[in-house]
Amino acid sequence: MIFPLIDAEAGAGGAGLGVALVLGVAFGFALERAGLGSARKLAGQFYGRDLTVLKVMFSAIVTAALGVFWLSRLGLLDASRVYVPPTYLLPQAVGGAVFGVGLVAAGLCPGTSCVAAATGRRDGLAVVGGMLLGVLLFAEAFPLLASFYDSTPRGTLTFPNLLQVSPAVATAALVAMALGMSAGAERWERRAGAGGGS
Amino acid sequence: MSASSSGSRTHRLLAGAAAVLAIGALAAGDRTTAGGRVDVDALARAVEAEQDHVTAVELAAWIRDRKPGLRVVDVRVAADYAEFHLPTAENLSLTGLTRAAIRPDETVVLYSEGGTHAAQGWFFLRARGIEHVYFLRGGLYEWMTEVVNPTLPADASPAQRAEFARTAELSRYFGGVPRIGGGSGPTRVDDPAAKLPRRASDGDGAGAAAVQRVRQRGC
Amino acid sequence: MSATDTASASVALPAARARVRAEGRPYASPYVTGVGIGLVLLAAFAVMGRGLGASGAFSSVAAAGVGAVAPAHAAGNPAVAEYLGQGGPLRDWLVIEIAGVVLGGFASAWLAGRLGGGVERGPRVGDGARLAYAAGGGVVMGIGAKLARGCTSGQALTGGALLSVGSWLFIATAFAAAYAAAPLFRREWT
Repeated sequence: MIFPLIDAEAGAGGAGLGVALVLGVAFGFALERAGLGSARKLAGQFYGRDLTVLKVMFSAIVTAALGVFWLSRLGLLDASRVYVPPTYLLPQAVGGAVFGVGLVAAGLCPGTSCVAAATGRRDGLAVVGGMLLGVLLFAEAFPLLASFYDSTPRGTLTFPNLLQVSPAVATAALVAMALGMSAGAERWERRAGAGGGS
Repeated sequence: MSASSSGSRTHRLLAGAAAVLAIGALAAGDRTTAGGRVDVDALARAVEAEQDHVTAVELAAWIRDRKPGLRVVDVRVAADYAEFHLPTAENLSLTGLTRAAIRPDETVVLYSEGGTHAAQGWFFLRARGIEHVYFLRGGLYEWMTEVVNPTLPADASPAQRAEFARTAELSRYFGGVPRIGGGSGPTRVDDPAAKLPRRASDGDGAGAAAVQRVRQRGC
Repeated sequence: MSATDTASASVALPAARARVRAEGRPYASPYVTGVGIGLVLLAAFAVMGRGLGASGAFSSVAAAGVGAVAPAHAAGNPAVAEYLGQGGPLRDWLVIEIAGVVLGGFASAWLAGRLGGGVERGPRVGDGARLAYAAGGGVVMGIGAKLARGCTSGQALTGGALLSVGSWLFIATAFAAAYAAAPLFRREWT
């Protein structure tokens, strides 16, 4: 199987960094195209006004998941060589909740804050600065947090593993859920008021 | 931006494509072995890339952390298995391996006394098209020397001491006795593991190196 | 809603032009851009064997800063030290990726006429307050992302696409918490 071309562990050589740049440019471009460099638009998700965040995220996840399944199925991608972030139940659940509060306060996430800053928005810069401080605070407090941070490890745990289903079933279920959610999102947005603008 | 007519058409196309690909996925199912053909190149590459085996410390961490889908398989004869086997291990002979039911989401780790039979079993399972299979290269000898009785040489560097501290905790979990000893540690005369060339990341904290690699993956 | 009526052009067109000048061209479809991002993510999997990320880049940069200012302190703290010794942030895959994100975001905004400074906020708060919320939110996100070992890019997109349970757990709690906390910050936006 020819993909992945560069092994994740090998890859921070020049070629890998070149790839990083290209992928980053495409990522940032697409985020801005969708309007996610705008804090008002992004935050709109959480006031039920503008569900762009949901639509972009799920479209991206479904596209990549279907891509991984089919490339693997056609013998082109060795999925076992793709790095899956390990699961740590408690820290990820709690970290997610903490992150969510910060997200709705800032109106931007780490990636989109860079997009906002790139387009000249000072609130984007403020989020970037805050994030740098946040990771530093975490590092300083690390001795206190270390045991929580490492708690409830489950290694590489995917839904096929957990539910004892095949990747095909899990991927199809994901697509079904995403399609259902977008249909719901469209209906919600239409009801919530068709006033112009995005 | 309310969806214009062409916008909706694009959206319906995308949704349709996703649905088709998803239903196709259900129909296509998962990869199965291409009837008997063995991709020798791929297997050779896997061996050279050291992706065919795990170290005893890595396996110990997987067992302790209850890695989902993990199946530890002892390929020795039943009498040896009955006398001693690794925690959570099941017993399958090599001929049993060829017929064993193994799900795609399972990760199989084979072990034997010295590692040879386990390595052969690895090949058989890979030839069956099972991808997530590894073997314990140093066999039970490696388990004994690296997990049950890990030894810290007296001339160890601070980095090695840090690794050892982590391995020692793992060792105690399995009822082992970490040792701090002189020189480069006790080696049994008939210990094949001692004669195996060590990887750069071996022995002096392979498990910790793996943990380190995982920790370093920022997102 | 396109404003290309010719009959009432004399009234509608200047207003439309004014809107475009103020806001730039309308945004692209979220589904199309989402698929685009998904393809970028897939390319990352296929070429690099890993996914995208963002918060890790911040950790790298922050660690490099600490390493430069207080090297002994940095070496003593494992949460900082693990990002050092790789040749600096400019050799960090995520840092280079984020540099790309900045460039790509700039390019898109420039092409669409959406460049412009200022502070995005609702009418009920001032610039200062909005910036304070933004910075504070950033601090909180930094901590949350470290705990969860990733953010919306690394955990939600990457881990989500790979069907990782922990990543989906992150998505669920992040969205739930954001919805729950939203009333506290309503003043920022409306």
